[in-house]
Amino acid sequence: MELFKPELGLSFWLLVVFVLLFIVTAKYVWPAIVKSVDERADLIDKGVGYAQEAKKQLENATENAQQLLVDAQRQQMEILREATQMKNRIIEEARSAATAEAKKVMDAAAISIEQARKASEEQFRAEVSGFALQIAEKLVRKELSDDKSQKEIIEKMLEQLEKQN
Amino acid sequence: MPKLSNMIFRRYILVLAMLLSISFTTATKASAHSEEEGGLNVKELIFHHLLDSYEWELPCTHVKIPLPIIVRDYQGEWHLFSSSRLAHGEEYEGFKITHHGDNSGKVVGINAEGEEYRPLDFSLTKNVTEIMLAAILMLLIFLPMARWYKKNPYKAPRKFFGGVELLIEMIYGEVIKPILGKDAKKFAPYLLTVFFFIFIINLLGMITVFPGGANLSGNIAVTMVLALMTFLVINIFGTKHYWKDLIWPEVPMFMKCPIPLMPVIEIFGALTKPMALMIRLFANMMGGHMITLVLVCLIFIFSAFGLAVQSGTAVFSVAFALFMGVLHLLICLIQAYVFTMLSTIFIGLAQIHEHKEEKK
Repeated sequence: MELFKPELGLSFWLLVVFVLLFIVTAKYVWPAIVKSVDERADLIDKGVGYAQEAKKQLENATENAQQLLVDAQRQQMEILREATQMKNRIIEEARSAATAEAKKVMDAAAISIEQARKASEEQFRAEVSGFALQIAEKLVRKELSDDKSQKEIIEKMLEQLEKQN
Repeated sequence: MPKLSNMIFRRYILVLAMLLSISFTTATKASAHSEEEGGLNVKELIFHHLLDSYEWELPCTHVKIPLPIIVRDYQGEWHLFSSSRLAHGEEYEGFKITHHGDNSGKVVGINAEGEEYRPLDFSLTKNVTEIMLAAILMLLIFLPMARWYKKNPYKAPRKFFGGVELLIEMIYGEVIKPILGKDAKKFAPYLLTVFFFIFIINLLGMITVFPGGANLSGNIAVTMVLALMTFLVINIFGTKHYWKDLIWPEVPMFMKCPIPLMPVIEIFGALTKPMALMIRLFANMMGGHMITLVLVCLIFIFSAFGLAVQSGTAVFSVAFALFMGVLHLLICLIQAYVFTMLSTIFIGLAQIHEHKEEKK
């Protein structure tokens, strides 16, 4: 049963070759490869971690942005509303101010019109009374030329005076 | 259409195989007849292929590459000469290759009384040369690879190195790291060397012609040395707690005091571990080679029953041998993996620490 009998020579050579191979590879090969593989795995793990973090942050950022957008919209609306209110108020104020001014102007106008009217009335009255006096003078001058009628007029006037008293 | 062409192709292959096997049969018939006197010694033929030899035959020729023979005779003198001097049963410096007895196929010396004896034989046989070839092959693969890694940090290798890295990852990432944990880096060099060495010698064993063809991992001396290495690594780097468990395990006193029952069992267990490693690898690899040889030999055995039987056997044997060969290719990887995995587990078992036990 030669198959089951380990040979000394072969064992010896294998031992020598294997130990040499082990020393060389353990020094120059495996540490370098294992280190590289490990480092790369770490790098990839870290990369995945970073990517996940970044994704999360991005999601947060999107959410924030959306929130901001909503806020901004709300603010905008508020501002718009306020602006509208202010506009309305200003218009209202302006209107009332204008109304008041207009009224003042109208009043002043009315007063001046009144004054003008009064003045013109007075003037008119003065002129009319002047005219009347002139007419009366002329009439009186004409009437008084005749005694009869003079007497009549004097009579009438006296009568009027009597009635008044 | 592709289906049809596929069918035609298959039929073509089948016919080719049959023709080949028939021509093979007729060719071998003549040689079988010529050996009729001595008979075809299947056992010898198989063992010739499974065992070591002092020369290396080139394929398709009868040219044999002679290898150096290094022996020490019974008087303590070393002899170094080429194996071609011992070819065809010739004798040189008191040595020859015997073909009978326990040392069949080995170099024997003839002492003063004319008796044969086995000298100390450190010859660079086919197996030894193959071991050196495997080691050189490993260096040729891994030294440039390590340089590549140093040159390209944080990069993944492509092509061939990528494939090799896959295996490294399979062993280091999937076996060594999970089992050994923080000790992984310490033992990884040994375990990776073992894995790739076994894998390469397994694959070289699958190449049946010149640069390969040595049945290395199916040789008990080889598996013995490898198992011995693992045994040494287990016990040299075993923790104090491991040794305490081995010699003075925590069992009731009567089981270890008057008769050291448990220590004996424990030590026996420690010894069976490398034995299991040794026999598992040896038997699997040798079995794989043997079945192919037996299947091929069947053709010659059945030649006695006529051409028809022999042709049938040839087709069947070749097909089955091919199937077994493919299976064996898978086993090459699996056995290297299993050896490494078991070594890792055994090393891991010897790495127990006191505080870990307390936690449980």
